[in-house]
Amino acid sequence: MATPNKTGAGPCGAVCKRLCFIGLALLAAACQQSMSIKVASEVPVPLMTQLPLSLGVFYDERLRNYVYEEDSDERSDWNIDSGASHVALFARILPAMFREVTEVAGAPTGAGVDAVLIPKVAEMQFALPQETKTDFYEAWIKYEMTLQDPQGERIAAWLVTGYGKSSTEFMKSRDKGLNAAVNQALRDAGARFALGFPRVAAVKTWLADQTGGGSSPQ
Amino acid sequence: MTARMIDASKMKWLFRGAGAASAPLLALLLLAGCKSATVINEHREAETTTLSGDETIVVLGRRHSVSHETEEDFISCVGRTLGQGQSELNVIPEKTFVDTMYPYFETSTAPMDVRNLDKLMQIPAIAAKFEGLKVRYFVWIDGATERTDSTGSVACAVGPGGGGCFGFAYWEDEANYEASIWDFRDLSLSGKINAETKGTSFMPAVIIPIPMLARVQANACKSLSNQLRNFFSVSAG
Repeated sequence: MATPNKTGAGPCGAVCKRLCFIGLALLAAACQQSMSIKVASEVPVPLMTQLPLSLGVFYDERLRNYVYEEDSDERSDWNIDSGASHVALFARILPAMFREVTEVAGAPTGAGVDAVLIPKVAEMQFALPQETKTDFYEAWIKYEMTLQDPQGERIAAWLVTGYGKSSTEFMKSRDKGLNAAVNQALRDAGARFALGFPRVAAVKTWLADQTGGGSSPQ
Repeated sequence: MTARMIDASKMKWLFRGAGAASAPLLALLLLAGCKSATVINEHREAETTTLSGDETIVVLGRRHSVSHETEEDFISCVGRTLGQGQSELNVIPEKTFVDTMYPYFETSTAPMDVRNLDKLMQIPAIAAKFEGLKVRYFVWIDGATERTDSTGSVACAVGPGGGGCFGFAYWEDEANYEASIWDFRDLSLSGKINAETKGTSFMPAVIIPIPMLARVQANACKSLSNQLRNFFSVSAG
């Protein structure tokens, strides 16, 4: 171990100041709570038998641009942008469930389709390992799904939830951990929606009317 | 039981820096090394578990528990190890299989019982996919590697003239995994294998920290894979 420079003068003094500055900057960066993530999702194409129906889907502005924002003592300046991922999720799943899927410009303008689906994000929640005292980043998504006929009359409304977690690993950043948890939650919500759709009582009745009771998207 | 030691001849530089007083302690630690021990339990339901040449195995992790999550890298390790060696098995990687079968093998939708596979087979798209993949056995692995104890500390300091660490830390890891083997053709449970590995790691630090790691998860993977390999016999047909 070298002898400390007692005078603080000379070339070491300047180097020390620089090192201290870099060290403090690193410490400040490590302690900051702010977060800004743009979720990158990756959901596979579902393995399903298509329903012989044409579906319109309406993504409202809130869903397209959904951003989770929080600015509290514990979560200062959190900004998680997942809008594109929600649209990508339904754009991936719906064509595997229905013979034809068309994006429509407004909820009641579903002319030429058998029904219009309107997904909305009701809620998103997140948990960090230090908050739950576990080794996981966690994410929850709740969608409000509405199925309307082409005239805008409601056929069914139900909730779809998704949960995802991602383990803490060596050198895994908080952003990466949360992104993985959200991706898992999206995937889970997509699976629950795809498999749960024909089991919703009102949807079941509608499907029976439309297809003569012989089809379900499996 | 496995043991890993570090070649003492490579450590001469360390003793020079550490001084004569700490050399015997370090030598003792290095001799003791880090160690891990594995216990395997096997329960066989089916008399034979034979794979023909082109039949495949799927190795999947259970992740429904609140308290733990079977690590993806552990599942990859078991799949990779089963696919190597003399009696290599045809293993479909977990991610490939789960993505191909989406949404039926997600954490919340995967069958929890072998009998539920029968329901899945009623869906023509699923049946065709299984047929194409030539799946014969499912190996569901549930468990995790956890730190059960740790003590000691290592302190490091950096100054204008250099830096260094001093201290001693040790920790114990425990891996506990259970593999359930489902026979897809007979829709029955073929058997269960449990692997429990415990290991202690050390990290003495005199100027430079020297981690001596007990590779608990890796040893559990190797032991479980070897046992699984023995569980299956491969026929030429």
